[in-house]
Amino acid sequence: MNRSEVEDFLYHEAELLDEWQTEAWAALYTEDSLYEVTSPACADPTKADARNTLFLISDRIERIRGRANRLTKKTAHAEYPRSKTRHLITNVRVTGDEGEETKARANFAVYRTKEDTSTVYMGEAFFTLVQTAEGVRIRHKRCILDLNSLYNQGRLTIIL
Amino acid sequence: MALHDPVREEELVKAEPAKGSFRVHRDAYRSAEVFQREKELIFGKCWLYLGHDTELQKKGDFHSRRVGGRDLIFIRDKKGEVRAHYNSCTHRAAKVCRERSGNARNFTCPYHGWVFSSEGGLVSQNAQTGYAEGINEDGHLDLRPVERLEEYRGFWFVNYNPNAISLYDYLDGARDQIDALMDHTEGKQIILSGEHTYSIRANYKLLCENSYDGYHLFPVHASYFDYLRDQLAGTPGEGLIDKTLASYNTAGAARALGNGHAVLDSFVPTGRPVAQWLPSMGMGTKAEIEARYDSLVRRLGEERAKYIAETQKNLVIFPNLVINDILSVTVRVIEPESHEKIRVTAWAMGPDDESEELRALRLDNFVSFLGPAGFGSPDDIEMLEICQDAADHTPIEWSEISKGFGRAGDPLYAEGPPDDEVQMQAYWTMWDSVMRRINTLEVK
Ligand code: FES
Ligand SMILES: [Fe+2]
Repeated sequence: MNRSEVEDFLYHEAELLDEWQTEAWAALYTEDSLYEVTSPACADPTKADARNTLFLISDRIERIRGRANRLTKKTAHAEYPRSKTRHLITNVRVTGDEGEETKARANFAVYRTKEDTSTVYMGEAFFTLVQTAEGVRIRHKRCILDLNSLYNQGRLTIIL
Repeated sequence: MALHDPVREEELVKAEPAKGSFRVHRDAYRSAEVFQREKELIFGKCWLYLGHDTELQKKGDFHSRRVGGRDLIFIRDKKGEVRAHYNSCTHRAAKVCRERSGNARNFTCPYHGWVFSSEGGLVSQNAQTGYAEGINEDGHLDLRPVERLEEYRGFWFVNYNPNAISLYDYLDGARDQIDALMDHTEGKQIILSGEHTYSIRANYKLLCENSYDGYHLFPVHASYFDYLRDQLAGTPGEGLIDKTLASYNTAGAARALGNGHAVLDSFVPTGRPVAQWLPSMGMGTKAEIEARYDSLVRRLGEERAKYIAETQKNLVIFPNLVINDILSVTVRVIEPESHEKIRVTAWAMGPDDESEELRALRLDNFVSFLGPAGFGSPDDIEMLEICQDAADHTPIEWSEISKGFGRAGDPLYAEGPPDDEVQMQAYWTMWDSVMRRINTLEVK
């Protein structure tokens, strides 16, 4: 994939999230996928492995679907009433292209407004995208936040 | 009439055993003035958790932490001794350590260049002239050590009252719970890599109450149990959830352990990496977990082994340390910033001798439920924030914490079923007696 194809795809992902179509979002992930958000306290977030370091999120496909499904419920109290979000994706770079697979990086800023409080989650996301018969799918997404803690944000109950 | 008419301090906790009534005045959560008194009496007199021994692996390793509103450097000095210094230069106040953690032989104050050793001694004033000979003979210019620093099985606590009773006595029945945790392994329990740090807009006591509250489980965590059911559908574990949860209110216990500490023992079918294997954990870890159970039996006997392996334990050590030994182990410290804002830091703990696979499972369990992005904790946090908000903005005087009250003689050692509130009654009884100086926690 070239950069504009990657951009189109990431904008589509962002649009689904901002519209709270979380289950459609989860359908963008492959059966062997992994969605991760490292902890702001992580010493080396690009190399870190959730198998031996505490992350904020490390979801394989069952939990990606579980997360998406949970967020559709009124009993997901942390997101009820639902917050408003806006995902901004910029500085997209294609960093590798091998057969079906494309690796890309992008900067992001996600704004969340809950009640009258707005906060921002900013950082860089690393993607492995794959071309399938059904279209482009995400095999791996790792978000690295430019934060030292979630002191201002409190929690991370939206999808980045 | 004001929104909240302030009450007298001796009337904040009202226990009437004959009526089975235990009430806490909401000023205890919403009053800035009460919080000022707590800073002096609760955080100035109780033992407060600083950190775990295994966070200081090498000589010179340090963490700078705020504990009960005071900035400290938690360090293993170059001789290997653990210390806690106040993080302020004895010259004109600057912070001598601006990093969250690291390794250091010395701390050089960035302002005028005074140098302090890892033991805290002043080694240079960065000046050729002007100071009288022997100005630091009495050591008053060394980094100030905290008044008291003691440990129990690797858990280091500080106390800002030099006359405080020992940590050992203070922990009382909580020692047995710490033993149960540290005895998980023949090896060593260690703080694992990484941490969660986040904030909550709520009073610190609301999070303590929530941490061992069996009563809230079903309403607050319904979506988590839905998720567990979905995960187990069509597997041998299907049906286990509803079977175990059906006896939730009768199978475990909430137990007060003295000095305001208490534990909730319960049974929730998540599986426990310590030594309780369930099909949902995958065949890969079965043999190792069973071997770990055998080791518990060998070392501690059948009854204790079963307790350690199968019971989910939510422990609160008064006033602000939570140790949850549930589907994973978390050590969580609650640092109050005001009457309505807290900073939470949480770590994962696990044995140093477990396989990579079991370690991965333990951490995966952790993030599935716990932490600011899990499927459990954020829903708890939302509850605390709506409690605080509503207490702040309504005139209602009392919170009713009566469930199970009046059966036992001394609330500090009461016991009840998991969905009772005896653990909170113990907490508030202790809180009340410390706030009213009935219990000074001092050596006579
Ligand atoms: S304040 Fe530290 S050297 Fe002056
Ligand atoms: Fe909870």
